[in-house]
Amino acid sequence: MNKLIRPSTLIWLVLMLLTVATYAIGEAGVGGTAMMLTVLGIAVLKVQMVANYFMELRHTRWLWRGIVLGWLVSVTGLIAIAYLTTIK
Amino acid sequence: MVVNFNYMNILINNSRCTRQIYATPPGDLAIWFFIFAELLAFGIFFVAYAFARAHNVALFDESQQHLNRTSGAINTLVLITGSYFMVRAVESIKQGYANQCARWIGAAIGFGALFLLIKSFEFYSKFSDGITLSTNTFYMFYLSLTIFHFMHVILGMVILVAVMIKAKQGGYSAENHTGVETGAAYWHMVDLLWIILFPLIYVIH
Repeated sequence: MNKLIRPSTLIWLVLMLLTVATYAIGEAGVGGTAMMLTVLGIAVLKVQMVANYFMELRHTRWLWRGIVLGWLVSVTGLIAIAYLTTIK
Repeated sequence: MVVNFNYMNILINNSRCTRQIYATPPGDLAIWFFIFAELLAFGIFFVAYAFARAHNVALFDESQQHLNRTSGAINTLVLITGSYFMVRAVESIKQGYANQCARWIGAAIGFGALFLLIKSFEFYSKFSDGITLSTNTFYMFYLSLTIFHFMHVILGMVILVAVMIKAKQGGYSAENHTGVETGAAYWHMVDLLWIILFPLIYVIH
């Protein structure tokens, strides 16, 4: 492998950084819609990275990636809606 | 059109990035149906948590303050790293390095154990404070979701131990390594679920 860094190592590093970002947002003590959407957005990105790169779904038919993406969008979308209903 | 198709074929053949598109995901197809069933179960649980919170925002936000967010974040890093080790195990066996593959699986199991250890301290601290499933709705969700996930980590480790033993015995090769991919897929699912669970229960308020 003549690449500077293994693709899987790069994905791992980005996943670690995104986790630290989520933690930092939590520690900042801020709440509200923007925080909720940012943290959920980071989670969506991370799940997609794990599914497509770690679980290697990117080399498979769209069907398999679609099932995971459909699940992800439904679950995080409903979570976001539940939170938005509490904003007065 | 014919010319265009030929041109496309040349492009595809010349590209070094092209890879075969597989009809099914890596590993045994049965594990994927199991994984999708697990995703569905946890998904319903996650959404139920969010709507239960909507009915009692003050209680959920107040109770969440008492969770150990640092421990939850460290455990996220631990699971992601364990997942990465399984990626390396699959990469190793694809090149025919069975012993190296077994060592990476061993490292992934070790990180699974580390997760369980950190989580046990968290549970111990909560139980010492007298918190149970019936303390309030937030703790009912927190405890049942994390205990349910905890059991999945244990099951993942059991699968990985079996795969590691077979790898050590030379049961997998560069050509035949479905078992390693099956174990890896399940292990990544455990990581994937925690990636949503951590921000949902520990961070968002």
